[in-house]
Amino acid sequence: MRTNSFLGILWHTIFILTVFILIFPIIFALGTSFKPLQEVYNNVLNIIPIAPTFDNYIGLFERLPMIQITMNTFTIATVVTIMKMLISFLAAYAFVYFDFKGKKFIYFIFIASIFIPFTVTMIPNYLIMSSWGLADSIFGVILPQISDAIGILLINQTMRSIPFSLIESARIDNISHSRIMIDIILPLIRPQLMSTGIWFFVNSWNEFVWPSLMLKSVDSYTLPLALQMFISAEGGTDLSVAMAVSIVTMIIPLLLYLVFQKYIIGTFTASGIK
Amino acid sequence: MKGIEFKNVKKAYGDTTIIENLNLKIHEGERLILLGPSGCGKSTMLRMIAGFEKITDGDLYMNANMVNEVPSGKRNVAMVFQNYALYPHMTAEENITYGLRRNKVNKQEIKRRLDSVVETLLLEPYLKRKPKDLSGGQRQRVALARAVVKESNFFLLDEPLSNLDAQLRVSARKELMNIHHTFKQTMVYVTHDQIEAMTFGERIALMNKGELQMLDTPENVYNRPVNIFTAKFIGSPPTNIMDMVYDNGKAIIGNQSFTFDTKWVKHIEASNATDFVFGIRPEHLQISKSPLENALKGKVKYVENQGDQYAVFIDMANSEVIAMSNSKDWNTDEVIFVQPMADHIHIFDKATTNSIGYPGV
Amino acid sequence: MNKNNTLHLNKINMKPWLFLTPVFIMFSLFVFWPLLYTFYLSFFDWNMVSPTKTFVGIDNYISVLTNPTTYKIFLNTLFFIGILLLINLVVPYIFAFVLHLILNRLKGFYKTAIFLPAFISLVVGSILFTWILNPISGPIAEIAGWFGIQLPIWSQTEGLVIVVISLITSWKVFGYNFIMLYASISGISEEIIEAARLDGVPLHRIFLDIILPVSSSAGVYILIMTIVQGLQFVYTPISVITQGGPNYASSNLIYQSYNEGFILYRTGHSAALSIMTLLVFAILLLIEFKFVERGVHYEN
Repeated sequence: MRTNSFLGILWHTIFILTVFILIFPIIFALGTSFKPLQEVYNNVLNIIPIAPTFDNYIGLFERLPMIQITMNTFTIATVVTIMKMLISFLAAYAFVYFDFKGKKFIYFIFIASIFIPFTVTMIPNYLIMSSWGLADSIFGVILPQISDAIGILLINQTMRSIPFSLIESARIDNISHSRIMIDIILPLIRPQLMSTGIWFFVNSWNEFVWPSLMLKSVDSYTLPLALQMFISAEGGTDLSVAMAVSIVTMIIPLLLYLVFQKYIIGTFTASGIK
Repeated sequence: MKGIEFKNVKKAYGDTTIIENLNLKIHEGERLILLGPSGCGKSTMLRMIAGFEKITDGDLYMNANMVNEVPSGKRNVAMVFQNYALYPHMTAEENITYGLRRNKVNKQEIKRRLDSVVETLLLEPYLKRKPKDLSGGQRQRVALARAVVKESNFFLLDEPLSNLDAQLRVSARKELMNIHHTFKQTMVYVTHDQIEAMTFGERIALMNKGELQMLDTPENVYNRPVNIFTAKFIGSPPTNIMDMVYDNGKAIIGNQSFTFDTKWVKHIEASNATDFVFGIRPEHLQISKSPLENALKGKVKYVENQGDQYAVFIDMANSEVIAMSNSKDWNTDEVIFVQPMADHIHIFDKATTNSIGYPGV
Repeated sequence: MNKNNTLHLNKINMKPWLFLTPVFIMFSLFVFWPLLYTFYLSFFDWNMVSPTKTFVGIDNYISVLTNPTTYKIFLNTLFFIGILLLINLVVPYIFAFVLHLILNRLKGFYKTAIFLPAFISLVVGSILFTWILNPISGPIAEIAGWFGIQLPIWSQTEGLVIVVISLITSWKVFGYNFIMLYASISGISEEIIEAARLDGVPLHRIFLDIILPVSSSAGVYILIMTIVQGLQFVYTPISVITQGGPNYASSNLIYQSYNEGFILYRTGHSAALSIMTLLVFAILLLIEFKFVERGVHYEN
């Protein structure tokens, strides 16, 4: 569509500025994470360090069990993602392809649960995990995260995009439900499922609230919790290390996003609310 | 009974009743057309046979077995869907053989059936292609092939030609005829297109608002419609319908009259209807500028070119009547003579809209 | 004609229930039962560790509602909602419209870049912005210093602290909302917009008269999600940067509920507060279902 060039330039400027505000902190953190400590304060505005160093990263691994912490984060995010995808997929299949008594009501209840703030469930869940001996354990972090109805909502919407007649065609040919899922539905919505999976993985990776309530010892920490340890001094001496932890925390989600951004943006723009 | 039978079948979604009380027998090996306007319940019937729609009340029999609770996959039914329902991620060949492979048909048998259908439908060049690389006509043939290889007794077709252009429809119909000739399945074919119904059906079940209007051969459905709906739905342009008063051997239509022959007089007088509706197809009206015997008068409104013939719209006794003519030489507001062909008259009981039947042959 | 697009297999079909069993178990254990139990706890005086709970009726609700801090927190919450909606509903709505209809180039780049922070932890965001906006030694302060401007110590300034925390949260939320709204707007048929252009309708009128009403269900969804999720998202920067301070100036209903439960060990107060938060959200949910779910998820 043709628009007058002044308007175009104006809006491009605004967009570039927005992108700058959103992206600059990340680049800034990357630069700072390679700065020696005194440069952090003396050479604030230079993004590229004058004397780049790996000391911050080395120091980080010396001070914290970073490998353990990264493994914890990875394990939690992986298990949560797989379980959430699995149970949401099965539930969505039931909601999309079957008619049963109370279906709309049950679906409503699940979707409504998205609106329950975490404060409503945090105390009982804390008590459950403590009584099961799962406090300070990554399993205690995993279990409540699986119960998230966003998965049902997203996969439900995606499944509805498959023409219903494909499933009917399979049913009339006596294909079992498990085969329909594996042979027909999975291949057809693989990109969308992958994007949804990445979204869940990243959200679980970044999750702060629930792990911060559950996990007490550094050995069971996740990356966001480890990162939080560096803020207490508020711009204090640990700043360059804090930037290094920030980079470690965001590197996996960022790589996932950048590698799969075409699918992810495609999925999110297609599954949008009409 | 072999074949398919609907016995007092009712279908409702909540409070909305789609089919009230349906009784219909489909003979083994016949080509039965389910015809009707959209929303008449014909697709619902097909989907009940396929096992996709639950039957609210009544029973459905297939090969003399009550199948109300039998799941789709156990009914041994093949189906061609309106949108073809080809699996987009599988090649044509995989699409055709998928059901057989998953049902553990042995490899040689799958190959035999595939080869045979590929030969019949000339699919060889397309086997390795995915649906998105096939034209509409090719997709339709793959869908057909997928249903054919099942070699089941029941073959359901849900508007299978509606997405094809006119030329392809003719050849696709021929292929369907071939298939039926070879396999002799019980074919149930849903369409809203009366040409398809007439050309392909051995019998037509005409539906309207969930009720069976008429079940008979295409000839009888055309020549001897049992009610006004059937008369109007079949044929294009539709049958002319006029209120008529019977008076002593004559039909009074508006302020004009038309004299029945003795066969009709006897027949009408024997019926117990009091008010009548007169029906005549446009192609059974003769029109002329010069007086015709036993004719009514009307005023030409306009003429519509229908290709091989012209449809002349006539204002007659306060209703619009259409007559077919080979000539386009009719002037607006010209008064002309309109003569119904005595052998092609339809008389209906106004109260029930049913035909009062036809004088004995 | 296919009014009901589902497979009817048997009169009583156990299959769907089988497929739903895992979610039933997981949600009963970790969502529905905890919800009921919190409701139950809201009528008791308890400290989470003591073996006895004392039934106090609606005392927790009364004491929460008569506590002046609650009013401060309620006003804070409204303030948070206001800023979050402005930055994460109004602005991305306009951005999505502009990207779809005015800009031709760099569309893919803008989408990718703007959505990117949604994939990064808010703890990272909190740390980065705490440093960047550090009023004494951060880069912004440095630049402001050239002009002789001194930045206020925002984390200690009532009012301002909420603005900054909302900005940090928006850094993460903005992109998601933008993408969802863009999805909705770009789904609007080109013909309607072209017809309006042919009639010489100015752009801002196209936005107000066509885009807004047609994409309203997405708008309502984002509106409510911004409130419901946004108030929970701000928990992270509050917890990381201010812990609700100074003097509750940056606390909101969510953080306060946590504070009562896990810092002050007043389980009953925390429960009562979160149940009241839930009630507020429930009203939003009803609006959501009225406007959005009906139109979207059940549309066939």
